Formats: sequence, C-alpha cells, structure tokens
Amino acid sequence: MKRFKVVFMLGLFSILLSPIHLAHSAESLNVYSIWPENWARPMFEEFEKATGIKVNFLRFSSGEALARVIAEKNNPRVDVLFGGPVETHSAGIKEGIFEPYRPPASGVLPARFKDPEGYWMGIADDPLVFMSNNKFLKEKNLNPPASWYDLLHPAYKGMIQMADARTSGTAVTRIFSILEIFGRDEDKAFDFMKKLRQNVQVYTKSGGGGTIPIGLGQAGAGIFFIVDALKTKQEGYDVAISFPKEGIGTAAEAIALIKGAKNPGLGKKMIDWATTPAMQNLYAKYKINFIPAHPEVKTEPSLAEVLRGAKIFPIDEVWAGQNRKRMVERWIKEVLP
Amino acid sequence: MPVSIAELNPSDRIRRLLKDPLLLVCLIVLWSLLILFILLPLIMLFAKTFEEGGQFTLANVISVFGDPNQRQALWNSLLLGSLVGLCGTVLGFLFAYTAVRTNLSKKWTLFLDASIILPLISPPFTTAIAMIFSFGPRGLITYDLLGIKQFTVYGLHSTLFSETITYFPIAYLTLKAIIAGIDPNIEDMAFSLGSSRLRVFRTVTLPLTVPGLANSFLLLFSASLADFATPLILAGNSFPVLPTQAYLQITGLFDLKGGAVLSFALLVPAFLVFLLQRFWVSRKYYVTISGKMGAQTQIKSASSSIKYLLLGLCLFISAFIFYFYVLLFYASIVKAFGANFDWTLKHYRVVFTEGLKAIRDTLIIAGVGMPLGGIYSVILGYLVAKKTFPSRQGMEIVSMINYSLPGTIVGIAYLLFFNEPPILLTGTAFIIIACYVFRYGPTGIRTTVAILQQIDPSIEEASSSLGAGTGTTFRRVTLPLILPAFFAGLGVVFIRSMTAISATIFLISIHWTLITVRILEKMTELELGVAAAFSILVVLIVFIVITAISLLLRLFRQPGAPEMANILGG
Amino acid sequence: MEAISIRLENISKTFFHRVKGKVSAVNQVSLDVQPGEFLTMLGPSGCGKTTTLRMIAGFERPDRGRIYIGEEDVTDLMANQRNIGFVFQNYALFPHLSVFENVAYGLKVKGMSGSEIEGSVGKVISLVGLKGYERQFPHQLSGGEQQRVALARAVVIEPRVLLFDEPLSNLDAKLRVYMRSEIRRLQKTFSITAVYVTHDQEEAMAISDHIAVMNGGEIIQIGTAEELYLRPESPFVAQFIGKINILPAEVKEVVGEQIVLEILSQRYRLLKGPHDLNAGQRVNIFIRPETLVLTNTFGEGSLKAKVLERSFLGEKVDYLLELDGHLLNVTSYDPFQHGTFSHHQEIGVRFNPDAIHILEEGKKK
Repeated sequence: MKRFKVVFMLGLFSILLSPIHLAHSAESLNVYSIWPENWARPMFEEFEKATGIKVNFLRFSSGEALARVIAEKNNPRVDVLFGGPVETHSAGIKEGIFEPYRPPASGVLPARFKDPEGYWMGIADDPLVFMSNNKFLKEKNLNPPASWYDLLHPAYKGMIQMADARTSGTAVTRIFSILEIFGRDEDKAFDFMKKLRQNVQVYTKSGGGGTIPIGLGQAGAGIFFIVDALKTKQEGYDVAISFPKEGIGTAAEAIALIKGAKNPGLGKKMIDWATTPAMQNLYAKYKINFIPAHPEVKTEPSLAEVLRGAKIFPIDEVWAGQNRKRMVERWIKEVLP
Repeated sequence: MPVSIAELNPSDRIRRLLKDPLLLVCLIVLWSLLILFILLPLIMLFAKTFEEGGQFTLANVISVFGDPNQRQALWNSLLLGSLVGLCGTVLGFLFAYTAVRTNLSKKWTLFLDASIILPLISPPFTTAIAMIFSFGPRGLITYDLLGIKQFTVYGLHSTLFSETITYFPIAYLTLKAIIAGIDPNIEDMAFSLGSSRLRVFRTVTLPLTVPGLANSFLLLFSASLADFATPLILAGNSFPVLPTQAYLQITGLFDLKGGAVLSFALLVPAFLVFLLQRFWVSRKYYVTISGKMGAQTQIKSASSSIKYLLLGLCLFISAFIFYFYVLLFYASIVKAFGANFDWTLKHYRVVFTEGLKAIRDTLIIAGVGMPLGGIYSVILGYLVAKKTFPSRQGMEIVSMINYSLPGTIVGIAYLLFFNEPPILLTGTAFIIIACYVFRYGPTGIRTTVAILQQIDPSIEEASSSLGAGTGTTFRRVTLPLILPAFFAGLGVVFIRSMTAISATIFLISIHWTLITVRILEKMTELELGVAAAFSILVVLIVFIVITAISLLLRLFRQPGAPEMANILGG
Repeated sequence: MEAISIRLENISKTFFHRVKGKVSAVNQVSLDVQPGEFLTMLGPSGCGKTTTLRMIAGFERPDRGRIYIGEEDVTDLMANQRNIGFVFQNYALFPHLSVFENVAYGLKVKGMSGSEIEGSVGKVISLVGLKGYERQFPHQLSGGEQQRVALARAVVIEPRVLLFDEPLSNLDAKLRVYMRSEIRRLQKTFSITAVYVTHDQEEAMAISDHIAVMNGGEIIQIGTAEELYLRPESPFVAQFIGKINILPAEVKEVVGEQIVLEILSQRYRLLKGPHDLNAGQRVNIFIRPETLVLTNTFGEGSLKAKVLERSFLGEKVDYLLELDGHLLNVTSYDPFQHGTFSHHQEIGVRFNPDAIHILEEGKKK
C-alpha cells in the first residue's frame, strides 16, 4: 500500500513538473501588464482579434512589475512588459532586462516617445492631475487646488491620499514633477514633499489607490494620472479635476521587449501593433483616458477639453531613469516616516 | 504492560533499519523532500542575507537595519504581535470560559461557534475591508453613526483590532480544550472548602489554564508576526511592520537581498517562539484533543449574573463579527459601496468571468494539495510517532519549520531557491502546491502523532501476532484509526490553500494565480465590490468543504476522534 | 491438532533505561515446555516474566540464546511468522472492528474464504459464550466480555502456542476466578501448549501444570504447585508462594538422616533433607500457618502464645500470635469444627515436626 502511494506521488510530481506552458496552444504571448486589468484586457482581446495571438497576462503595479522581471532575469517568464510610466522602463534598461526593438511606427514617433537605443517605445501619454472631492471642497470652502502650494493648506490635513513611491510609478512621476518645479533643486523639492506629507492620510500601494476613497469622501484630494482620475469621475463620483499653475508632469506609457523572451516574434508583433493607431484608436472606444502617442491619432474631445489650458511638461525620462533609485530611497528615508 | 524502554545500541538501530527496506525507502524519500523543500530554500535565504560578492558579510544586515524605518518596523512587529497575543488570548479566554463553564444552551453555543469559524475560514483582508467601510473617514460607524470626523482608521489601533478579531478563534479553540479538560470536580472541591466563586476562579481555574494561556499567546504572536495582508491595508505609513516591509522591499524596490534580510529578522522572534513552544509549553501539559468532558456534575463555576454578563460580551463581539460579514456581502451586491447603493450582480459576474481562471487555478491547486498534504502528513506522522530510526527527532523538527515561519519568509526563500537551475519551479503550480503541503502539513502531522500516541501499541502487536505483516497491519489497523487525522490534514491544507497569501504572493505567475491574490489586486485597483464578492465566494467554498469533511469525519468517527474545529486551531 | 513443545535456551535480554542505565531484564533463562502443557511464569513485577513471554511471541528479540517452537528455531522470525496466539492484559481489541471482525481478523489475514471464516468464528464465539454479540463493538462490551473476545481471537487461528500476558489483572475478583477456569478449559479442549504470565500466585496454582517462579530475570524454581508450596528450594520461593513463619533454630544433634532442632526452647526431631548440617549450627526454619495446631491449654509439647489479632474469614480464621517475642501467622480451618479463639486469649501452639522446613543456613534474619 505504501509502495503504491509512493509511486502515485512520484507520478503526480512528474506530471506537475512538466512544463506547464505545453498546455497552452502554440500561438500565445506572455505579458506583464502595468495597466490595470480593465484596460489591458480589452486591448489584448482586440490584439487577439486582429492577429490571432492569445495573450496571457498578469497585472502588476510598475514597481512590482520591474522587480519581477529583474528577479526573473535568468529565466524570463514573459515576453513583453506592457504599459507603465516610462521611468520604470528606463530604470530597467540599466538592469539589462530589455531587448532593443524598433517597430515600423518608430519612425513617426516623437523623440520623447521612444528610447534612443530602442529599448522601449511609447504608446500613450499620461499627465498627472489633481483630483478632489467636491463635497469636501464645499465643506471647507475651497476651490479645487490650482497650485502645488494649495495642497499644503491646513484644511487638507489628513485628507490627502497619494501613491507610495516604493510600489507606484505614479508616485515616482509625481516626485520628478516636484523636482522639476523646483528646478531640480533636490533639497527644496524634498522640503516641500516633507511639508506635504503632513497632510497625507495614507500612501497607497497603487497609483490609483486613492481615487475611490476621494470619490467616496473618505479623503479630500490627491494626485493621480489622468486616466485614473477621469475614470473615477466617469463612474459617477463627485470629483473635480484641476491643474497646478506651476505646471505638472506627464509620463509616457511605454512598452518593451524582454531580453531572452521565449516568444520574441510574437512580442515584436505586439509592439508593432501597440505603437500604431490600430491600438491607440481604441482608447477612445473603451473610454481609456490616455493621450495617444502616435501623432495620427486624435485625442478624444472630452479629454482634450479637460486638458485645455493646463500647464503640462514632460518628465525627462533619461534623467529620471538614472536617478530613480536614489530619489525613491531618499523619499523613503526623509518623507515617508 | 511495562513501560517501554528504548534500546540504544546505535549499530543495532542501523542494522534494524537496513532490514526494513520499506522503512528505508520512505525515509530516503521523506528526507529528500524535507531537504529540498524546507532546508535548502532557507539556507539559500541565509546565504543571500549574509553574502556579498561571494563572501560572508554582515553588511547587508547592517545597511538594512541602519535604516531607522526598518528598525521601527521590527519594533512595531514585536509590539503588535505581543498586543495581539495579549488581546486575542483574553478574548479567546472570555469565549472559551463562557462556552465551557456557564452551562449555555445549545443554540447559544452554536451561535458562538459559528461566529468563531468565520474568521478562520476567510481570506485575508476581510476584516480590513470591513474596518475601512466602518471606521474610515466616512465610515458607517464613525461618520454616519457617531459623527466623528477626524478619526483615522490607519495605524496600530485598527491593525490590532482587526488582527485580534481575525486570530482570537485560535486562542478560543486552544483554551476551550484546556478549560474543558479541567475536571469540574476540582472546582467543586474548592467550593466545598469554603472558597468564594471568584477565589476559586483566581486560585484554581486560572492557574490550571496558564499553560494554555501561554501557548495561545505564542500562537497568536506568531500569527500576527506573519500577517502581511492586514497591515498592508490598515497599518498606514506611520506604522510599518516587517512582513509588509519585506514584501514592499522586494516587489516595490526589486531588492531581493533587502527583502531577504528583513524576512530574516522575522525569523529570529519566530524561532524563539518555536523553541518556547516546543521545549517549555508542551512539556507542561498534554492537551486531550478529544476534549472529552468527564462525568459532569452541575457546573456551578459562575453565578447567573456573571454568566449573563459574559454571554452578553461574547454575543456583542460575535454580533460584530457577523456585522463585518454582512457588510462584506452587502458591499458585494451594491454597485459602489458608499456612493451608489443600487443592487447589482455585476461584481459576481466579474468574479465568474475574469476571475474564473483564478477560481479554477486555486481549486486545482487546493484540490491537488489536499491529498498530497494528507498523505504526506500521515506517513511522516506515523513514522515519527511509531518507528525508531536514526534522525527521528530531527525529522520531526525539520518538518515543523515551514509551518512555524511567517509566510513571507517561506515565499521569498522559495522564490530565491527555485528560480534558478538546477531546480526551476517558479511559474508552475507545483511550487505553490509544495509551499502549501510543507507549510500546512504539520497540522496533520501533529494530529496523526497525537492520535497514534493515544492508540495502545499492543493493538499493533495483536495484529502482528495474528499473522499480519507490517504493511497489512498498517493498512487494516493503523490507517483506519488515523483516518480522522488524514481528513484533518486534508481539511487544513484545503482551507489554508484557499485563504493564504503571504507566502504565495511571491509564487504566482502568468499561468497560475490565486483567488487571494486577485482579491489583493482588486483591492489595489479599488474594485472593492469585486474584492468583496471574491471574499464571499471563498468563505462559501471553504464552508461547504469543511462541512463535508466534518460529516465524513463523523461517519468514520472513533470514540475520541478530534473535532474538525479543534484541528483548525492547530 | 498436534500439540507442540517450546524450548528456551539460555536467553538473555538487556534494556537501556533512561534513568537506571543498563538493566538486565532476563538473564540466561532456559525453559522446557512440554506439548500440551500449561506453564505459568510467576513472579513479582520486574522479574522478567513478561519480557520472556514477549520474546517467545517475537515482540522482543533476545540478545543471546535461542528459542524453539517445536523443532523450529524461531529466534530470528518476526512475530507474525510464528503462528502464536497472544492474549494481552488490556485485550488490545481493534476498536474500529466489530466482535466478529476482531475474531475473524487472523483468519482473513491467512486468506480464508468468507464461508470458512463464518464457520470457524461462529464456533469459537459460541465457545466463549458470546453468541449474539457478533455485531457489537469493543467499547460496548464489559471487561470480561472483551477479554473473551481477545481469547476467541487468539484461539480461532489454531496457533501452535497460546501466550497470556496477565490477561485477568484488569478484571474484578469473582470474574477472575471464573475466567481463569474458562481459559484452562479452552486450552485443554484444543490441547494447545500455553505459557501464562501472572503475579497472582493463587491464579498460577489453580490452573497450571507447572509453575516457573522468577525473580531478577532468572528462574528460581520450576515445579508443580504442590512441589513449590511444600518443597520450596529457596527462601524466595518459600516466601513468595503462600505465607510462612520464619523462626530461628539451633541444630542440637545430627543423627544419620535425622537432626534434632531446638526452636524456642522446644526440641523437635525431623529429617535432615538435602542440607549439610552440623551440631551447634544456627539455622532459620519456616512453618506454614495452617500446619500450626492451636489448643486451649499449653504445657506439654505446646508453647504459650497470646492472640494479638484475629480475622474471621468464613471457612478459616487467621490469627496473629505473639510467641516468646516472635510473631506467628496461624490459619485455622473449619472453625465450625475446631472453634475459635478470641483476642488476648492465651493459647497453646504446637508445631508439627513434619511441617518444619529448614529455610537457610547460617544466617539470622
């Protein structure tokens, strides 16, 4: 009886040990997506409709995704890193996790939407915005914040939710925006962030983590990528979108091919598709409020309306990539506690 | 029968071992598994912690703990753990004493037991979510009910409350068995000597429960130390704790080394607890798993007024627990809790379309892990309890290691060890199954050992004298008697497979993902309705499966077989 | 079925005790059990009788020596290969099996067919008086019933030998008496060689063909009950079996095969026996309580004694007498015939010279 059990166990083990991906049919692509599932899924489904290639994906926030890919460096489990603010991809170049690839569309893409060496391509633009709860503003007799310094107002004490730089690209983009406002004077910038910290209720794990709480009124205001902020508004929450007069940063959303990918051909096909109007026209269709990167795709009118008059500057992703680790570590040390 | 005296001739023991080929094969297989899935990954973790550029160094440790934030996290974890241990034990004692000593009617006992089961079978975050809905800045209780505006739900207090509610059932089960095991005649005797009720309680009942109190404190301390999910939601940024820090270090800062160091820091208190439990607490008493009550005289321990007070308190807390789950259910069927209270099945639709893969994966993994875990724990438990062979004690201790460690450590260790050749398991279901089997197997092992210790050895000798060989004896006599332990092992592995996250969050992949991880994702993506729906689904599934196993247990029940619920506590 | 012999040749077993260190449980024991014989190993706890029994069964292996069942050297065989029936002190019934299944267990292991099993089991269950109990489970039975099931289970497989490890010590007194004769009856019916272990000498004497008295891991004396009682060869056996009174004596004369002893200033002439004695030598003698004769008067041939305690036990009366500074136990049977004496009464005690035995030489207790 025991012998039978041992044989049975060994048999079971060997079945499970066999490469699982054999179970999946020939044409399928493995992707880590930094975009939330609700946006990634429709894109991938359209991709499958267009090319017949099935996409298996897992969603991670940008920091997690980067950590994952680096940890799997010696034996990559995915072929493509899809979406995510570009500073994530920049940081990844250093770690040697990407394979350069220039899709056909790279010719028409503006310089800020492609890595000079081809390690990543831009698929969208995503500015940061301020988002606040209207009821809260009314109670406190405030206008929607129109300046970075507005957020330092004591009325906001304990009512701001923002992303945690350890896990979220939103936070990193925010930090670099602030750095840019202060002319890259780190001490001044961090001083501001420390002051801002006093009003923070909680730093959320994901970039859009604070949107619903603000929508519900559990918090008063926060800083988010426009995609997340507008989604909240579209769902019916009573929130206001505003821009600081000093300006706010925008980060490109990128896509990259993983070095050592098991299906590089399929990965390239996805990059080809994602960098063209084929995918980017779908943003409007699925109500995803990214600004398309491809010059031929028009920004959806209501989105354009929101952006009118806002002062938005691009984040220098090279500089950001080089200094990401240092800034995040400094933020953890000085601002977070 | 005379007391058994062991033969201690080493060459004799080895010779006997060689004569029993079946035993030898089992030992080799088991030790290979234990080394591969318990020892080596941990050694790898140690190596990464203390190694830099191929040399032994403390530099990593120093740099990580040079950061005051991390030191704070260590201190916080210990503080939280102690507080949870304390509060949970007190609460558990309250419930246990009420359940055992106040002569409750059947329906009250049932109600209490039901409210205890819920936290035990729930996925993580359930109390946390409910807490935020209730005590957040616009929470149902703080804002709508009490009008408090500046109450912050993030921090030590909420985490403490949430973890206490989540883990006190463990204390309850431990203490219930202890208190039930105290012969009420002892208390009767104290009465007859003139003591007041309070005095009897203070001088007789309480001292007898001290080993149980100590054990329950240690259990809860470990549970809290390992809890990564609740603090992730509720602790906020002003109260960092180690498991969450380790997780963030790895997933956020892609710093595997730092994460390893942090989880190593967790190892030290966990190891201390393990030592304390094994060499101090367990020596002081033997828990009767059957929890049989001796001939019951009328229990006069608590006066009527006290009885109602205790019952009232317990009911209040139970009601609170039920409220949490009702809240959860409500959140799963409204469009957007807090903003839009229209009924909808939309969230469940998401669960059963998008979430279907996770459900399928989790059930497959749990389904495969169950029998493997059951078989593993029964075989190892049997060998360790019944056979003498060199390394027996070692095997027992090693098998308990993964169980005693916080999940984060195990997860990270597996990630490090199995991500590189020669053994490449990351991305498979197998690594998750292995994690569960070797982490939750020990409950079945302990139950098997306990049952075997209660079985008279002469029963197996009788079988032998009647002509049955070792295999036949095992099959026809021992196995049927330890069947309850087998089912217990099955049950625990299944429940933990459905509700665990702290280890397996590092082990999921494109091809295999888990419901609990989806819940976390949905929470971070703020689709709280879907998260709530997933949670309710898990609770339902687990509840159905445990009930099925309990019924099966009852079918095979021997006099004195352990109750399912008691096993869950272990 | 052909009965079979058992032979133990110089077997020894040492245990390693956590506290006591090396313990020699059985020391060079040799034993011959005749086919069909009922032999009891009798002795105080720790004397090695159970260990010896378990070695015959195969539950323990001797460190030295050989064990033979019939002509076969079974020393290296495992318990399940020896075809023995073992009855345990605590019955060891399988709790998850019914009475029928318990008894049928050994037959099932042998591979007997269902109908054969039905027949054999049914017969044996009737034999032990448990007909109708087949579907019951052990926990529903009384101690005596459980022991009978254990008996049936051991016997039904037609073992070559039957081994009993203090099977009755968990039963109450009356049941013990009843069960022991049941066991004997069964053993005789099947004429299976049996080895029985007990510390209860009355039990041993009642049912055994021979008794091996053990102490300290060794066999002190083997014999019939009568031999052991009337002709104990060592102080231990004399004191273990039955009650004795020990008194100091001095050899006054040695005349051929006879000697004259002076005990308590009375002289008695008795046979020398196997002892080598000289005049003037001091010895200890023992006398069984029932051989002392009590009289109302004292004087010629009877010594004066005072009754310290008396216990009226129905068919006999036990007295504790004080005689010349010594305490004597006296048992007087049939008080209906012989009358009784009361407390503090002064009576006469007469020794019967034939009942005086020399216990040991040259030592004073």
